Amino acid sequence: MKILNIYKSEPDETVKKLVEIVTRDRETDTFNLNTENPDYDALVDKIFTADQTICWW
Amino acid sequence: MEYKKVCLMYRHKDYAIDGIRSALGLAVENMYAYGVVMDTEIPKLDELTQESIEMLRDMEGEVYSTVPANVETNGFEPLTIEELGEKLREMTHIIPYGIK
Amino acid sequence: MAKSLGIFVSSPDSLQHVIGITKAAKAKGSKVKIFFTWKATTLSKDPAFPGLCELADDVSICVDSYQKQGFSVDDVPAGLTPKKMATQAQHGIMIEDYDCYLSL
Repeated sequence: MKILNIYKSEPDETVKKLVEIVTRDRETDTFNLNTENPDYDALVDKIFTADQTICWW
Repeated sequence: MEYKKVCLMYRHKDYAIDGIRSALGLAVENMYAYGVVMDTEIPKLDELTQESIEMLRDMEGEVYSTVPANVETNGFEPLTIEELGEKLREMTHIIPYGIK
Repeated sequence: MAKSLGIFVSSPDSLQHVIGITKAAKAKGSKVKIFFTWKATTLSKDPAFPGLCELADDVSICVDSYQKQGFSVDDVPAGLTPKKMATQAQHGIMIEDYDCYLSL
């Protein structure tokens, strides 16, 4: 199971804790949307290869 | 057929009630739907929203909260962040709803 | 064949991301369905919204949310048809029928 975590802002302690538990013993990938020019092409590739995508606040 | 399991999480008080309605909408579509009110204390819910939660429960869904005041005021099921994390592992879809 | 993608939009600050992701997904040959709910239905009044409707395969909004944001059901946003002023069932469709799911 491969989980993709996307962050729309800097993850706080709550989000970090949830990500830590959800991704335990699972393959993970991350993408930071909190940048000036996100590489949407790369993001879509990541979404297509992940089994589950979570976009955090 | 494997049923979808969806958890919506709400961190902003202006989004919680509609988020609960969204969870109910998915339960009606034959999914296991759960809502979790986090961080924020919300006032006592109106009758319509309380009915929505009862309908959600009838369809094996639930509304939880990590905030004790919400458990007391609105009868949500209590949940710690650690318990929420473990619950999320069982979900097919995880939705951090709205804004924080 | 590219996977299909459902995008559920509940935050009113995500339109640029929705457009960017939709463009990238369509360029890969993906089928894209988008559903806006609650305060995100106000994005249907953004000047960029009609362009998004042309780009994606299916765009709809929660009509109940739209009304709660102060709009009339008769005030159909440019790019949509009355049929696309819909219910939360649209969210269910993308979860059940689309290969990939993203909430924004």
